[in-house]
Amino acid sequence: MQNPIAPKKHVLLLYLLPGFLLYTFVVVVPIFVAAYCGFFNWSGGPKMRFIGFRNYAELFKDGVFWLSFRNNILLTVISAVGQIGIAFLFASLLSSGLVRAKAFHRTVIFLPCVFSAVVVGFIWSMIYDYNYGLINQFLKLIGKGSAVKPWLSDPKWSLVLVTIPLVWQYIGYYMVILLSAYSSIDRSVLEMAELDGATGWKKAVYITLPLLKNTLFVCLTLCIAGSMRVFDNIYVMTGGGPGNSSSVMALYAYNTSFVRYRMGYGSAMSILILALSLLVIGGSRGLLARFSRKEET
Amino acid sequence: MENPASGARRRGSFRRSLGRVVVNFLMILFSVSCLYPVVWLCYASLNDKRDFTVNPVALPKAPNLDNYFAIFSQSDMGVWMLNTLRNTAVSLPFILLFGFIIGYLLSRFHFRGHTALYGYFLLGIVIPIHALMIPLYVQFKKCHILNRWFTLPVAYVAFGMPIVIFLVESYVHSIPVEMEEAATLDGSGFSRTLFSIILPICRPVLVTAGIIQFFTCWNEFSFALILVSRDTLVTLPVGMTLFKGQYSTDYPGMMAAMFLSILPAIILYLAFSKQIIKGMVTGAVKG
Repeated sequence: MQNPIAPKKHVLLLYLLPGFLLYTFVVVVPIFVAAYCGFFNWSGGPKMRFIGFRNYAELFKDGVFWLSFRNNILLTVISAVGQIGIAFLFASLLSSGLVRAKAFHRTVIFLPCVFSAVVVGFIWSMIYDYNYGLINQFLKLIGKGSAVKPWLSDPKWSLVLVTIPLVWQYIGYYMVILLSAYSSIDRSVLEMAELDGATGWKKAVYITLPLLKNTLFVCLTLCIAGSMRVFDNIYVMTGGGPGNSSSVMALYAYNTSFVRYRMGYGSAMSILILALSLLVIGGSRGLLARFSRKEET
Repeated sequence: MENPASGARRRGSFRRSLGRVVVNFLMILFSVSCLYPVVWLCYASLNDKRDFTVNPVALPKAPNLDNYFAIFSQSDMGVWMLNTLRNTAVSLPFILLFGFIIGYLLSRFHFRGHTALYGYFLLGIVIPIHALMIPLYVQFKKCHILNRWFTLPVAYVAFGMPIVIFLVESYVHSIPVEMEEAATLDGSGFSRTLFSIILPICRPVLVTAGIIQFFTCWNEFSFALILVSRDTLVTLPVGMTLFKGQYSTDYPGMMAAMFLSILPAIILYLAFSKQIIKGMVTGAVKG
């Protein structure tokens, strides 16, 4: 610390400490609290009974938990394909010069990103609504009254239907990220490709896709991390139902702890969610990193 | 096309113009789908309950503000809005202050434990915080800080800090050290240099971070749901779900409440859409 502009040690400590302590208290300590409580049979009251690893043993056999985990994964896949795929398509179209009013589209398509997941969930509940929903209104209008149904009550489709709003909401987000990557591509590369006869989708797939690869990977990591923490939308739209058909891990942990008051079990679940999420996020990052390195050599 | 070389391929010009129409139509369709829900909320909230049930997408015959008066008199909408506003207003300055100070220190000085501390804060970005909902509730309960006016800000400041730290950290790298050296030579103390010289230079990155954090705080739901349950402290997103439970048949009322809850975000977005888009993208890519 011979740096002349460096603060004295106690000054440095004084500046670091408040933020450090707050962060530790809210972000780090809970991990240990969860690990501790996970060993108890506890309903949140004063009585706590130590049961060792039995919560974890139960968890590994808990069908609903693994269904929720599967739903998280499915939701991640649908979101990744839907959000990033459509965002890539739109970004390509917008930067191809074929589309007019580029700024307008960009501004409008990004708009849903600033809404709360709760409101987006409500809006889509209205769209799916049996009596007044836009979908059923539309079906009646075109004379397909027989197809009208309470959309969100169908366990076969509930997960897909709660994912659509998520895809819709965040297309703009990834589109804007991709657009900014597009604008940094060297124009001459594209012009050269056009001279060589690459147009339209060919240009998109063979020229821009490889150039945007790193940005697409960033989008993918963001999308995976985001999909693993989904909670609000589904809480609002279906509460995980019908049955547990649209349940996700965070929602199941919430229901276990705050509806059925199994705090010990919920804590053990938190630890497992943490581990699984980190595994999925870390694993996908590792894969992507390896993939991008292989391509370069 | 802007490229003169493409003029050689005249035969494809009909197909190309057709393609152009299709592509434009597609984009407009999607843009409308993003805009329409907001417009629908707006005009349906002015509608009569009975007219709405006849045709939910029709424009109101006699637009009026009855639904708005109703939600303010029959629910705690006003309280929810104030709570959300207070939480955001309290959290934001602290997120930016802590993020700025720690980000600056981490960027400039390689004190002992620097790398460890860096990784420690990085943890906050990597960890899926929703997994902390239950233990955080337990912990807050044990410490008797559930259901206080500062409960949610405490959580939001801690959650928001890491991303701001890293945004500031990378920004400070671009500021020449000569700035501080000159200031020190002129007799400026550490704190004075920090707040009167570095802080103004960091304004752009702090604005970016502030924008991201504003929307995060304003829209936050899961922690607001579990950490606060007293009527007087409920926030807007959570209030909306209560509202749905109470007035599940009052659709126009629901829509009025929804419209009101996104109105601040819309106004802010319309005013600063460029900065907001840029801010969110920078935050995402750096994070």
